[in-house]
Amino acid sequence: MQLGFLVDLHLCMGCKGCEIACKVENEVPLSTWRLRVKYVDVGTFPETKRTFTPLRCNHCENAPCVRICPVSALHYLENGIVNIDKERCIGCAGCVMACPYGAIYIDPQTQTADKCTYCAHRVASSMMPSCVVACPVQANIFGDLDDPTSNISKYIQKNQSNVQVRKPEKGTNPHHFYVNGGNVSLNPLASKRVEGFSLFNNITTLPVGGSH
Amino acid sequence: MAAHEILAATNAVVTLDAALPGIVWPWLVTINMWAKSIGTGVIFMLFLLIRTHPDQVKGLRFPTTVVALIFIHIFLLFTLADLHQPFRMWHIFFYPHLSSAITIGAWMATIFVGLLFLLAFVSFIKKDDALFDKILTWVVILAIPVTLYTAALMSQCTARELWQMPTESAQMVFAALLAGSAFMILLGGNKLNYEAKKTLGVVLGLSALMSFTLYMSEYIFGPMKAEEVAFILEYIKGDGPYTVMFWLGQWITYLLPMLLIVLSRASKSENLLKLAALLALVGLWLVKHVWLTIPQLLPMS
Repeated sequence: MQLGFLVDLHLCMGCKGCEIACKVENEVPLSTWRLRVKYVDVGTFPETKRTFTPLRCNHCENAPCVRICPVSALHYLENGIVNIDKERCIGCAGCVMACPYGAIYIDPQTQTADKCTYCAHRVASSMMPSCVVACPVQANIFGDLDDPTSNISKYIQKNQSNVQVRKPEKGTNPHHFYVNGGNVSLNPLASKRVEGFSLFNNITTLPVGGSH
Repeated sequence: MAAHEILAATNAVVTLDAALPGIVWPWLVTINMWAKSIGTGVIFMLFLLIRTHPDQVKGLRFPTTVVALIFIHIFLLFTLADLHQPFRMWHIFFYPHLSSAITIGAWMATIFVGLLFLLAFVSFIKKDDALFDKILTWVVILAIPVTLYTAALMSQCTARELWQMPTESAQMVFAALLAGSAFMILLGGNKLNYEAKKTLGVVLGLSALMSFTLYMSEYIFGPMKAEEVAFILEYIKGDGPYTVMFWLGQWITYLLPMLLIVLSRASKSENLLKLAALLALVGLWLVKHVWLTIPQLLPMS
């Protein structure tokens, strides 16, 4: 079994329900996110549109974070999930530096690395990840990539000409796919970050782990 | 930030997103690299002097070992200080993950410290120079991977495209040679004659030249090989936030010391050589800090 995620960006309407469900389910502290939805506005008025992109850990098959972790706090589960043992983590932040997707953060309460685990604790109890349950339009599709009859496999099969992963050139083989994604939604260098436009205004960065 | 081809076409602007993490590896890591360069560099230089000017190093074996011990401990202290859970450092030894350069580096550095203490014992208590020189050979061999492992660690940071193993390895070795020769010029004092210092000056000048060449190669040719590198280097170009610090570092660490070394050879001035050494040591911190920081400014997602 190799669990994977797929987001149909054509369906996502940016409600951030997944973001909130994740926060609540995993008690993610303030100023940190396991899953977030990024809004990118494209075009020039009046020809404009807004794209919504949920971003989370990609649970790579060849995960740089697992490779760099000096104490195996980051490790693979048998179902393909990249999990983290917070009791073992020494907080070196090597994983934060290695992840090409910016998906790992230092938890300001425990001072250890943390990230999306595809709700491994829920999956172990045969439940879907909380973000999947919360999505009102079923844009999040979760399942076994090894099973050709699973919803995710069928979705990938059906949309095979339009399935993408983020930064494929990194060779990480993500287990997280996007349908109807474009360069603007998946490539962080294809959009500008202008201070004052964001809901967070001038807060464009925050201290890592709430300290140094 | 340079205008991206796609930006012009789409006018894509991030309008709502979470705040991004700031600098992950801060100045503490810069001191880590700087101190390690000195700690291993002086060992390389002691080895060189024993072979080229054996009569000059009689009183330098123990002081050099002490300097190496001090700076390796500074390196270890700042490594520990940078951990968010420093009291769990022992996990590296009891739950080691051997694919990580951090693990391998921690083990090698520990053995290196043990061997340095052995050198200190042999030179200060036993006063046996022959035995010291035998052990030193093995310490020098170990000092090479201890110097290089940070390059491996940086290359494992796949998110930071700027850091590539071949270039960073060379930069680490040149930094150790530069810092080691500079520190030995200052440490040598009256114990080293001008000829020995001239040899150290050659090492300092050549390592500065090679390092500067590598930085300029990245500066000019880096943007041609990867989009991320092009974006990162914009932070040290034009009115980028790190342009001044980058060029200040290049001048203080490489260009001015090279010039001063040439002048000192022409005028046989030890003071100019000492000034070059001092500038190189101070500037190395700046150079390392800029190169450590700029890839961390790029948004990853």
